[in-house]
Amino acid sequence: MTEAPSQLLLLGTLVALGAPQQRAAPPANASPADDGQWTIPAKDYAATRYSALTDINAANVKRLRAVWTFSSGVLGGHEGQPLVVNHTMYVVTPYPNVLYAFDLAQEGFPLKWKYRPYVNPAAIGIACCDVINRGASYADGKIVYNLLDGHTVAIDTATGKQVWKTQVADVRTGETTPMAPLVVKDRVIVGASGGEYGVRGWVKGLDLATGRVVWTAYSAGPDDEVLARPGTFRPFYDRGADLGRTSWPEGGWTHGGAPVWGWLSYDPDLDLVYYGTGNPAPYNAEQRPGDNKWATSVLARRPADGSLVWAYQFTPADSWDYDAVQEMILTDLTIKGRRRKVLVHFDKNGFAYTIDRATGEVLLAEPYVFVNWAKRVDLVTGRPEVDPAKLTGASRGTVKDICPTLEGGKNQQPAAYSPRTGLFYVPTNNLCMDYAAVRATYLVGTPFVGASTPYKPGPGGSLGAFIAWDAARGRKVWEIREKYPVWSGALATAGDVVFYGTLDGWFKAVDAKSGAPLWKMKVGSGVVGNPITFRGADHRQYVAVYAGIGGDWFLLSGDVRSDDPADVRPPADFMPDIARYTSQGGIVWLFAL
Amino acid sequence: MALRPLAAAPLLALLVTSAQEPVPPAVRYEQHVFAGGNPPPAGTLQNPFTGDKKAAADGEKLFGLFNCDGCHGGGAVGFVGPSLADGRWRYGGADGEVFHSIYYGRPRGMPAFGGILPPDAIWKLVTYLQSLEPKQDVSTVAW
Repeated sequence: MTEAPSQLLLLGTLVALGAPQQRAAPPANASPADDGQWTIPAKDYAATRYSALTDINAANVKRLRAVWTFSSGVLGGHEGQPLVVNHTMYVVTPYPNVLYAFDLAQEGFPLKWKYRPYVNPAAIGIACCDVINRGASYADGKIVYNLLDGHTVAIDTATGKQVWKTQVADVRTGETTPMAPLVVKDRVIVGASGGEYGVRGWVKGLDLATGRVVWTAYSAGPDDEVLARPGTFRPFYDRGADLGRTSWPEGGWTHGGAPVWGWLSYDPDLDLVYYGTGNPAPYNAEQRPGDNKWATSVLARRPADGSLVWAYQFTPADSWDYDAVQEMILTDLTIKGRRRKVLVHFDKNGFAYTIDRATGEVLLAEPYVFVNWAKRVDLVTGRPEVDPAKLTGASRGTVKDICPTLEGGKNQQPAAYSPRTGLFYVPTNNLCMDYAAVRATYLVGTPFVGASTPYKPGPGGSLGAFIAWDAARGRKVWEIREKYPVWSGALATAGDVVFYGTLDGWFKAVDAKSGAPLWKMKVGSGVVGNPITFRGADHRQYVAVYAGIGGDWFLLSGDVRSDDPADVRPPADFMPDIARYTSQGGIVWLFAL
Repeated sequence: MALRPLAAAPLLALLVTSAQEPVPPAVRYEQHVFAGGNPPPAGTLQNPFTGDKKAAADGEKLFGLFNCDGCHGGGAVGFVGPSLADGRWRYGGADGEVFHSIYYGRPRGMPAFGGILPPDAIWKLVTYLQSLEPKQDVSTVAW
């Protein structure tokens, strides 16, 4: 199966690609030798979504075929990914968050057990953006994941019985919990959503054995609640005490958002957990003058006690809902002749950042999609040079043509990184927006937003692209334009194949070096989940992915649903025909040669 | 959760009621979310504003001021929560049914506003929603 050549744009020289000047490598401790399993959301602590399996490769992937499917029984957006541990595959559904355990050693992969928790249905309407779940982590004989209604659970893999259940968030205040926890040693690190409800964002460290909350670290507020301790907290660019309080109007931080709803990564050598924070609330920036630290930031903490070691704010005084919760991928790169331990982050704000992960110094920040709200990022101050004409606020009326939109150059859909090519594989959106802010009233349990933000296609007209990015040089190497935003995650393998899915329901394999299309299949519903690969009990290599459009597209393209006769919506004006190609669904797919 | 001050003077003008309406016994679903953190005391089943354009206009303002648009979208066309402009109703479209949905909330995350809005203000919201004519018949989409 091939695509029109015009869809493939080669922006770099392919010759340079095959042999990067110096091999890039994720840190060994954060990305150990491949055992053929997939035990945590992003494959390894470095969040590479890279597998060393090579049975399926660029030469033979055209023979890939579906070998097994399973209906999840649920229609919400199927973000996240399965896990495979000890020849068992674990699938967490969207609300009501059923956990299935499939026996990969038996013909037909029957269930060993399923776990059906009670989940408060109020969470359905309080979750901002569909009832998605981003997956689980395996540790110490337990599957650990979040229920949408503010609980974290640990399930015994041998029996399917609940080991513990801890309330970490409160739906009544606008908090929900769709993110995937990460287990680091004996800590379960979790966060919550609620940036559209004026929550006060946090991460918590739970005890893996008991579920007890050991520490809570807020994103904003006084230092003792942010866990910014004297002598430990050393941000690269900022100085002063209580920055999480003084960069807000009086009390604004108490309902200022900055929730932690995205991905976590961890460097065992530096003993630092990395994650990004969401938008400051409300969307009307004039209600919260100041930088609003540490919203729209990356934070580095000690997992044992939550201490903040450094923080960097991508979008100070956020005026565009540019959450920064996208994954932080860890690798070591040679930049300007010097070997650096870096994290690479593709922010909603449209810049790709390469940051020294020991200190928080920004080494590179270049746009990976079309950006016009800022001209560049000043590497001396770390601050973006904002175009004042693109600042929003209730007094400014409708500000036109801001790129990217609040969906981001990229949103939750996680990128992958191949140490073989040295490239990052990034699903992206190509949309621009108008932004009309109004004063928002804070009412507990209701939205705290204050903006209308209609979207339009970005330059070139295609609404998305799948790109390869060189984070040592800060440039795009190749790009595959897609008709719709690319909302699935990416998977890279040592077979030099990269996998991703599309909103209109294609699952695709492309050449890691060139982006050349190699294989594709229509999988029944739009793909917003993240592909994984593993070695089965029969020693074959499998690729797995969810199909099931949803997440933000449940809100924006409500015409893709068919399950509620009392909710019939016209198509989105910027994407009028998506429902021609997909409806909601919930399918687990397995592929093999 | 402490009740926070709601808003400024123009908002309060919309909330003024002539007299306390007679109300049925309070209904409280355990899973409900209470706007402002207050459970509702009760509600009434009569719409005193049917067809009143001024009440519908006030209701439209309340729809924004009380964050209804944050879930149901501007113009109530549907977003996180269902469309309220398509002429179809998950919990019924009669006066009292729409009132009930706003006053007591509904189990899938619709907050109960009866704790912070007086019955007259809720009737204005009902009047606004009932004034929205479905823009088109959306039962068939053809390509």
